[in-house]
Amino acid sequence: MKARGLTSRRQFLKLTGSSFSLLALAACAPTQQAPQQPSTQQPTAPTAAEASPAPSGVELRMSWWGEQEAPGLENWLKESIALFEQQTGHQVTPTLQDTSVVISEFQTASAANSAPDIQYFWNGIYHMESVWLGYVEPLNGLIPDDLLKASNATVLSVFGGKQYRLGWYAVPMMWVYNKEMFDKAGLNADQPPKTWDEFIAACDKLKASGVIPVVGGLKDGPWGEWYLGHSLTQNLDSPGEAIDLFVGTRDWRDPQHWEPWAKLEELWKAGYMNDDMNSIDLYPGIDLFGAGKGAITQIVGPLVPRMQSLLGADTVGAMVMPAFGQGNMAGKPIADTQGLGISSQSQHKQVAAEFLIFLHQPERVNALWEQVKQLPADSTWDGSVIADPLLKQIWQEWMHGDNVPYISNLMPTLFWTDAMFVNSQKIIAGEYTGEQAGQNAHDVTQKWVEQNPDMAEKYKQWAAEMKL
Amino acid sequence: MLRTSRFIPYLYLTPAALLLAFTFGYPLIAIFDFSTRRIRGASGPFIGLENYRQVLNDSVFHQAVAHNAHLLLAVPILLASGLLLAILLYERPRWWPLYRTILFLPYMLAVPLVGIVLSNMLQRNGIVNEMLRAIGLNMLALDWIGSAGLALWSVMGVIIWREMGFGMMLFLARLQSLNEEVTEAARIDGANWWQRVLFVTIPQLRGVIEFYVVISVITMLAWVFSYVYVMTRGGPGNATIVIEMYLYNFAFRNALPGIASAVAVILFLLTLGLTIPLFRLRAQAAEEDRA
Amino acid sequence: MNANLPFDKAIQRPANPAMRRALRLFSWSSALRQAVLIAACFLVLLPAYFMLATALKTPEAYSLSKFSFPTSPTLDNFNAALRGGRFVVWFLNSAILAISAVAVSLAVSALAAFAIARMRFRGATLFLGLNTALMVIPPVVMLIPLFLLLTNTRLIGSYAGAALVYAGLLTPFSVYLLVNFFRAIPHEVIESALIDGAAPFMILLRIVLPLSVPALVTLVVVNGLWVWNDLLIALILLPRDDLRTLMVGITVFGSRYNNDVPVAMAGMLLASLPMLLVYIFGQRYFIRGLIAGAVKG
Repeated sequence: MKARGLTSRRQFLKLTGSSFSLLALAACAPTQQAPQQPSTQQPTAPTAAEASPAPSGVELRMSWWGEQEAPGLENWLKESIALFEQQTGHQVTPTLQDTSVVISEFQTASAANSAPDIQYFWNGIYHMESVWLGYVEPLNGLIPDDLLKASNATVLSVFGGKQYRLGWYAVPMMWVYNKEMFDKAGLNADQPPKTWDEFIAACDKLKASGVIPVVGGLKDGPWGEWYLGHSLTQNLDSPGEAIDLFVGTRDWRDPQHWEPWAKLEELWKAGYMNDDMNSIDLYPGIDLFGAGKGAITQIVGPLVPRMQSLLGADTVGAMVMPAFGQGNMAGKPIADTQGLGISSQSQHKQVAAEFLIFLHQPERVNALWEQVKQLPADSTWDGSVIADPLLKQIWQEWMHGDNVPYISNLMPTLFWTDAMFVNSQKIIAGEYTGEQAGQNAHDVTQKWVEQNPDMAEKYKQWAAEMKL
Repeated sequence: MLRTSRFIPYLYLTPAALLLAFTFGYPLIAIFDFSTRRIRGASGPFIGLENYRQVLNDSVFHQAVAHNAHLLLAVPILLASGLLLAILLYERPRWWPLYRTILFLPYMLAVPLVGIVLSNMLQRNGIVNEMLRAIGLNMLALDWIGSAGLALWSVMGVIIWREMGFGMMLFLARLQSLNEEVTEAARIDGANWWQRVLFVTIPQLRGVIEFYVVISVITMLAWVFSYVYVMTRGGPGNATIVIEMYLYNFAFRNALPGIASAVAVILFLLTLGLTIPLFRLRAQAAEEDRA
Repeated sequence: MNANLPFDKAIQRPANPAMRRALRLFSWSSALRQAVLIAACFLVLLPAYFMLATALKTPEAYSLSKFSFPTSPTLDNFNAALRGGRFVVWFLNSAILAISAVAVSLAVSALAAFAIARMRFRGATLFLGLNTALMVIPPVVMLIPLFLLLTNTRLIGSYAGAALVYAGLLTPFSVYLLVNFFRAIPHEVIESALIDGAAPFMILLRIVLPLSVPALVTLVVVNGLWVWNDLLIALILLPRDDLRTLMVGITVFGSRYNNDVPVAMAGMLLASLPMLLVYIFGQRYFIRGLIAGAVKG
């Protein structure tokens, strides 16, 4: 899921993030078209070590990902690189990486002292492990603080008071529903269910009207990760508490923590989901929604326009997962961004930072929206240019409303493969109850802590910071 | 033999030796080292046999081993079907070259391709179930790759589907190199078809059968990654996870190459253990040939 | 026992071969034989039919009936597959890798095999023994160190790195096959060249290799297909989107389109064409290569 599912989600998040950073940039750099802006800003961001004069004609290496979830990103990036070179004389060589290795290869390359200068990062643990290994440079000081903030990298990019990722594009995470089907089932299409009971009642009516209430595909896993991201939050007060679960200081066997899986079991047993869920992948599962076969599915922002083009812009509505839990985070929209960071091994950190700042110039951020149709991860971007009401709603409520971060990004990979993935599939296969899923999550957590004592310590520290 | 100066042969050997040292030599030594460390990135602290302990205590690893063992059930099926088809073809029924070409076809198709096509057919609402429903066997229209109880059997079926042709071709080639007089003599002595197959043909194929069994066993233990990766990614719920997939997960997803290396060592020793009997068999066969 | 087994009778009795043949054609036993073979062929061909028929159907026709014959065939799926997948790029990547890996391994293997087969030196048996043992070690065992090594040398995500690894993995079998083949070349042929004063390398180039064309073709076909069909190594060692091989490409493509089955099947059909061509034209060599390792021993 990290790879594929995350990708789409992440891309989306990055998008939103970049729009924020754009806004920030606009704020701190009033002269819009100045290509050299980044350099003018640099004085505010002196880094001691690398401050040695950046010679003209520096060559940066950049490893990235995202074209897979946001087609068109590659062209935008190439254009940005060309403009950057025109204006500064520095070159950037991008390498588009494959989903399965975008994270693991950065670690390996860093260990071999050959990391790229600029690296694409998913949020949370996907880059924090590298931070703990000392492979990532903090951005504070290299990049103006307001841009760091505006890029919506979220609290999941911060450790020890330093931020390690600059948002690129936004990945709001949501549920979408088919308004026509809601109408036909006698539901109010403008008021999607907010509580679990309302939701179950709606599923009943939808099912009676002859459609599948909820569709998805679990064969490859990300659907289950998204589901957990939406549901695990519900009995938690802060992202730090999610870490507590992943390192075993909170107990998965506590009913409130396996409740998400019990709810999945409830939906499945009531026959509210497509029966081939376990034999199809994420995207085909979502396509069932696009094909008008199901009324509700989970989705990430970057995929919403596609659903609109398949079903009609007026037919698609966005909703937050109906709340069953009592935690502070229940019933709130989820915002994430895909982002970029700088290697601690880079010889040209200043120039790398300059490039990241350049990507957040108003003109670039606007182009990201115009050309790639991705919401930028940049709060300074003027969202009023969004004509589509649904996307505008997502921009306002998901990315800039009372939102929560995507806590599935805190899940160790072992938990992903052996607990999240296994639990969701086994529930659909009728082999696990919610309670058994909780027991398995507990066992896997214990195993992970044993295998990764070094990481577990860092995790705990991170959790403590997040709760402050 | 060519007479050359003493060093010339080594000169010829060097490129191959270097290449083998690079692909096999270094890695086979390195996995032993890695398997005793908590590797982060490319190195890490020495932790003794901790990785092995983790692996051997991990219930997922146990499942993986059990699944590979389960796949061994395919070996007798492959052997029997390969032999049967080879013997049938050897008797040269009408159109036999056509049959041979068709039956060998799956082996020529790449595993990912086979996996994708057949798993589409086996989807809950795929063609296989549609056919079953059409002929009234609704109760047999199951979730072939989506349910834990069946997925491994489905993977096994797909492996058999693709690999069957190889055994057949192997046996057929060996049969065609046999001396027909022996079979003919048995026939004249009044042995029936089954008797001839069991007591004349199969004994003559012994060497190649042993070879095939060993190769197939190794295949089921250590060469099924592509099938699993394409068809199920190890799911649903680890129901089809195999040793290679377990190794892959730890090496490239869970970022614990140390644990993955411990698995690699175990797998290496396992294949080595299976290869030694193979060499013995071959040496024995060679002696018998000479005798 | 005989009574249960009517197979035999037709074959047993007639002494005259022609008559036996005629009888066999019409007997129960041959009918049974044909039935078994036809059933096996049916099982083998069903997926092929599915692939072809589905690729020619519209999504509507497909959802109506998966098994039916495509009544109004469409080529739209092929267009969609070509648009959604970058088959040409994947195809070229696979071809470049397969060709370079096969060429490298053929060159080093021929040299080594020539020395082992035709020269007397200490360690020859040991080398051949080790080489043969390497044939059964699954590549997944070596993958982690290779990945780290290539990353260290910045060869990760390059044709050169992956091709070298593939070439190395192909070498044990190539050496093994070529040694057997070179040994079978009659002494006299080489003797006569020696008398003419040819150097060893010239003998390899001018005499041994030309006489070994069938073995070389076999290696090209078998090894080429091995690289072509590999998934695992390409997945790990070529982690760049623009370097995806056909197998990695179709794996991603297949899971992306596993709900739009007609497009997925059109893609699979496109991807299988090169292999089918090799099969049709290279069947003989391929079979020989498979069997060379096993039957002779």
